[in-house]
Amino acid sequence: MKILAVCGFGVGSSMILKMTIQKALRELDVEGEVVNADISDVSSQKADAIFTSPEFVGDLKKRTNARLYPVKKYSDIGEVKGQVEQLIKDMEKE
Amino acid sequence: MGENIKKKHMRIIEKTEDYKEAIRIAAEPLEKDDYITDDYIQAMIDAIDEHGPYIVLADKFALPHARPSEAVKETGLSLMVVKEPVDLKGNDINLFVVLAAKDSTSHTELLKSLANFLMDKKNIEDVISCESTDEIKKILDERW
Repeated sequence: MKILAVCGFGVGSSMILKMTIQKALRELDVEGEVVNADISDVSSQKADAIFTSPEFVGDLKKRTNARLYPVKKYSDIGEVKGQVEQLIKDMEKE
Repeated sequence: MGENIKKKHMRIIEKTEDYKEAIRIAAEPLEKDDYITDDYIQAMIDAIDEHGPYIVLADKFALPHARPSEAVKETGLSLMVVKEPVDLKGNDINLFVVLAAKDSTSHTELLKSLANFLMDKKNIEDVISCESTDEIKKILDERW
């Protein structure tokens, strides 16, 4: 699967989020590619899911059909892991 | 291990008026050393008004930053501990690390190691409880 980590500028927060998602994937033993991007860049990227902060979810809903998973604290491995597990469940439903 | 944050770019203070002042004080060492201009500091503050508190990456921790621009001359980080928590739109913050990135790649390695450092909450607590920048430097050198 491919996950986009999105923040306002695509250079700081999203990079940290990407690292946390990669660690969560490793701990859950799931294969996946993680790319970080800024919010204006999202429509040009294909992904199974987008992880971003709650503030950006509303705006992103208008721009993409990818599943959106809000994360409040980008370096909170527990929170990110929970969302990755949710994503896996959601993908299995299909 | 490469260099993380220079000791002269670290500060410990008691309290600040608000998060805007906190960001200004935290970024000052980078401005003094010509890493950034005042425009970049303003851009970091404006970014919070625009995008909300998404620079709060962990409990008590914020990473103020803005888009790479001409206002950044050199890529680097500065650090500030503020003993009395600062309210950043509903989040209590004691540790600020300012990121100045002059392009979208030069800081990648720095941020990767910062991300690993932050994932252990004890690291954040330990830095916040430091009483001197020597102590902070020691923790970063050992665990960053």
